[in-house]
Order: sequence, then C-alpha cells, then structure tokens
Amino acid sequence: MDTAFLFLPLLLPLIGVPITLFLRNYRRIQAFTALGLMLTALGFSFGLLRTVQTTLAPVQFQLGLWQAPFGITLAADLLSVFMLIMAQLVLCAGLVYALGSTEKVVQYPTFYPLFLALSGGLSGAFITGDIFNLFVFAEIIVISGAALTAIADDKYGVEAAYKYFYISTLASVFFLLGVGSLYVSYGTLNYADLAARIAENPSAPLRLTGMAFLTATFLIKSATFPFHFWQPDFHAAAPSAVSAMLSSLVVKIGVYGFFRMTTLLFATEADMLKTLLVVLGVVGVLYGGFGALGTHNAKRMLAYSTLAQIGFILVGIGWGTPLSLAAALVFTFNHAIIKAAMLMLAGAMASRAAVKSASFDVIVGVGKYHPFAGVLFLIGSMALAGIPPLNGFISKLMIFWSGVEAEQYLSLAIIGVASIITLVYIIRAFTRVWFEANPEVKLKPGDQLVAPTILIALALLLGIWSEPLVSFAQMTAAWMLAPASYITAILGGG
Amino acid sequence: MNILTSLAVGILFAAGIYQILRRNVIRAAIGLVLISNAVNLFLFSTGAYNGQAAAYSTATAQISDPLPQALVLTAIVISMGGFAFVLSLLYVISTRYKTSDSDEVKGLKN
Repeated sequence: MDTAFLFLPLLLPLIGVPITLFLRNYRRIQAFTALGLMLTALGFSFGLLRTVQTTLAPVQFQLGLWQAPFGITLAADLLSVFMLIMAQLVLCAGLVYALGSTEKVVQYPTFYPLFLALSGGLSGAFITGDIFNLFVFAEIIVISGAALTAIADDKYGVEAAYKYFYISTLASVFFLLGVGSLYVSYGTLNYADLAARIAENPSAPLRLTGMAFLTATFLIKSATFPFHFWQPDFHAAAPSAVSAMLSSLVVKIGVYGFFRMTTLLFATEADMLKTLLVVLGVVGVLYGGFGALGTHNAKRMLAYSTLAQIGFILVGIGWGTPLSLAAALVFTFNHAIIKAAMLMLAGAMASRAAVKSASFDVIVGVGKYHPFAGVLFLIGSMALAGIPPLNGFISKLMIFWSGVEAEQYLSLAIIGVASIITLVYIIRAFTRVWFEANPEVKLKPGDQLVAPTILIALALLLGIWSEPLVSFAQMTAAWMLAPASYITAILGGG
Repeated sequence: MNILTSLAVGILFAAGIYQILRRNVIRAAIGLVLISNAVNLFLFSTGAYNGQAAAYSTATAQISDPLPQALVLTAIVISMGGFAFVLSLLYVISTRYKTSDSDEVKGLKN
C-alpha cells in the first residue's frame, strides 16, 4: 500500500496525458478528467505524507527490483513529500482556474495533456532518488512548460517560449556535464550512494567540477541573479493559469536542488556553496525588489517579485541552521500559494480589461466593478509583503528570527530593508487597479475567481493556524540535517 | 583513443558555442545540437574504455560499464525531441517576424 501511495501521485498525471489526448473532442470531459486525476493524486500524496510522518523513514521503491544503488530509486522522504504536497495543491488550483478561464488557450486540444505532463514532471522530480532521473523529469517540465507558453494568447508567447527553452536546454547541458563528472568520479547516480561516497572520499578530481555545473543548473532553474534574465519575460507572456504554476512551482525545482545539494550530496563541505547562496540570495532580493518597482505590467511585477522571494529562500538555505532551513521550507510553501493566487488575480483582471493585457495602462481602474477581487488582491498583497495575520508574515518572521539566531546581521539587515520594497510596489499596483478612475472601463465577463479564492483562503488559514506547517517544516529540517539516516534507509533497506 | 575523444568533445563544444553566439537563430539552433552531441560524447566517454567484454557475456575479461550508454541513449532521445521543438518554434518565429536575425525578434522588449 505504501508503494501505491508513492507511485500514484506520479503515475496519475502521466497516465492522464494520453487519456486526456484521447478525450480531446470532449473539452468539458477532458478538463474534468484532468482535474479528477490531479485531485486523486493529491489525495494519495496526503496518504504518503501520513505514512512518512508516522514512520519518519522514506517510502521507497526500487524500479525493476534492482538493489538500491544499481537501479533507479523512487524515494519520498519528508522533504520530497513536503514539496510534492505543495506542488499538487497549487496544480489542482491551477486546473480549477483553467476550467473557469476565458482565454482561448484552454480550448486547445493539447492544453490539458501538456498541463498534466507538467504536473507529472514536477511530481516525479520531487520523489525520484536518482540524479539522472531528476534530469529526465526536469526536461519533461521544460518542454511542457515551453509548449504551454508557446500556445499562449499573448502574441509574444512564442518568443518567450523560445527564449526560455534555449536557456533551459543550456541548463540541461550543464546538468548532464555535472552528472557525468560525478559519475566518472564516484561511479553512481543514486543520491544516497553518491552522498555516502562523496563523504568517504571528498577529493576525487572532478568533484568540484560536478558541483559547479549542478550549481549553475539549479541557479538557472530557480531564476536566481545572475541567471534570472529569461524569467520575467517568460512568466509574463505565459497564459494566466500556466504562469501561476511557472512562477510558483517550476522555479522551486532549483530550490529543491539546493536543498538536496547542501544537506545531502555535498553535506560535508557545503560551506562554499552556502556562502554563494547567501550572497546571490541577498542580491536577488534587492534586484527583484527594484525590478518590480520599475515595471509597467502586473504579471511582470509579480515575476520580478518571485525573483526577490526566491532570494529569501536561498538566504535561508545558505544560513543552514535547523531554524533557517525550516524557515526556507515554510517560505517555499507559502510563496507557492501566495504567488499562484496573485498571478491568477492579475490574470483575471487582465481578462476583464478592454484589451487582453496585464499592463497597468490597460488594467487601470478595472477593479471598479470587482470589489471582491480587490479584497482578495489586498489580502494577497499583505501576505506577499509579510503582514500579520497572513502566512507571508509567518515565513518572513521565521527567516528573520533564524537570521538573528544565526547572527548573520549584515545579510539580515539588507533583506529586512529590501522586504519593505515589496510593500511599495504591491500597494501601488493595488491602488492603480482598484482606486484610480478609468472612464473606459466596462463590466465585462472574465476568468472566474474560484481558484484564487481557495488559495487566498488557504493563505489566511496558514497564517492564523500555522502550527502544523511550521512543526512539519522543523521536523523536515531536522531530518535533512541528519543525512546519514537517509543514506542508511535507502542503501540498507533496499 | 582517449586523446581523440577529448579532442572531439572539445572541438564540438567550441563549434557549438561559436554557433550559439551567432545572431542567426537557425545557426544558434544548430549550435545547440552540436553542444548536446558534445555532452553525449562526454557522457559516453565516462565509461567507454573501462572494459573489454559486454555486460551480458560470461567472458572472464573485465566487464564494461553499460550505464553511460543507457544515459547517452536517454539524452539523445531527449535532445532530439528538444531540437524538433526548437525548430517548430523557429518556424513560427520566422513566419511571424519575417526574419531569422535574433536582434530583430524583440517583441518582448516593449
């Protein structure tokens, strides 16, 4: 039964790809099949969470029944389950948004198959225990994400997709070079085995090369400064339902990679990497904040804001204390929910504007007829800026608290100041859309607000009753800081 | 043989990077293919010269490592799919923007 819990969150979306392709002539059935499959997958992920939480050991399966280091391992430990639940929760909301979307792109026969492929890739990337398998799932994400953007209503979607695909293919090249370097040094691809062998012999000739290539890959994937340049274009041009997924989940692949690299693969000598992450994180927080101030498009502003928020997470990973790792995890989770909701709201407002665009010149004053969306956007803004009683406050509080505890006052001061910028640009966006008068605005039907309502309610709930999330994140951080138990569980239990 | 392989990897990489930096988008796509082939060759070389006998044989000679070949196969298939996708994107771009110069494809800048 445990292995069923492990398989189904991955298999259901992937099986859904051909099924929804066959249903392409029945759009409603196709859409509801996709949603049903994702909701079932989410249910099984919660089952997996229960199992992992009670036993505290990773649920694992060796594909083809080859013993642990020789075959491909699927293993869900606390970190994997945490990321998996985050991804599938937001993906389900994304499908709900697509159901009520007025964009032409959701009428494409391949929209739902591609969306499910994206979901399958994300789920797989989080529960695989093999570094080459991670590469394969990352490629599934890249191709489906780029294809979803290429068919966007936005006429520059193809250009954005081309740009993204190009950069990501180069990232995959780096990934393969890193994998090859590690394989030639240590002769294995399994996370656990690799970690054990690196700890045993930390001076193999190509170890640093592999580490550098993997770092570059994950920096590109998480769109961190200085590899961020493709991200605002790509996230702003994607269809609303998809851009919410890209900006909240797909960049988290890189974050997940850094979690694994600093706590498992290169755990014994991660100090160099951690310093790099703190520096790049601080720069990212500043750069993303100022970039968001300078934009004239709501979606683009939120894409820059993602850059800043990823910076906070990387700083948390870089400090590397149990509390700061837990804070980074909580931040990752909360950011996914808030950013998805905010991008959906921006998309919903853009769909109600005279011309379909999220540019502030076009959507100024559109909020006049939509006070409910305004309330949601305000709550979301407060969560993004970190104002109590919302979940964004919890994540920022944990980051700052862990910074004080780790005595990293310089980086703490910079990100503290930079986080105030969030308030500036987000309030400016709110007043422009909801308070400024625009005589050209007419009442026009647009995307439904069900999905952002669910996500904002979740943000409120996790702000008021954050204890389960925080304690689970602390448990996960403690588990991550003891990589020996992961290694013995995978290699010994196989 | 080792030197030949490493030379081939290096030359492929250099040519690929040179092509990627060209302004013509089709040349850039070809550069992408050259680089992914260079990486495939690199992956292949990680285990190519370590044995004489195939993994399934019962010979007493040292068994060669089959894993890099499996990795290369996967990588080739993925890069083929990716290249087809890039070409289809380029087709749309060239019909929409009427150019193959990457400096002219700048709709997102505004």
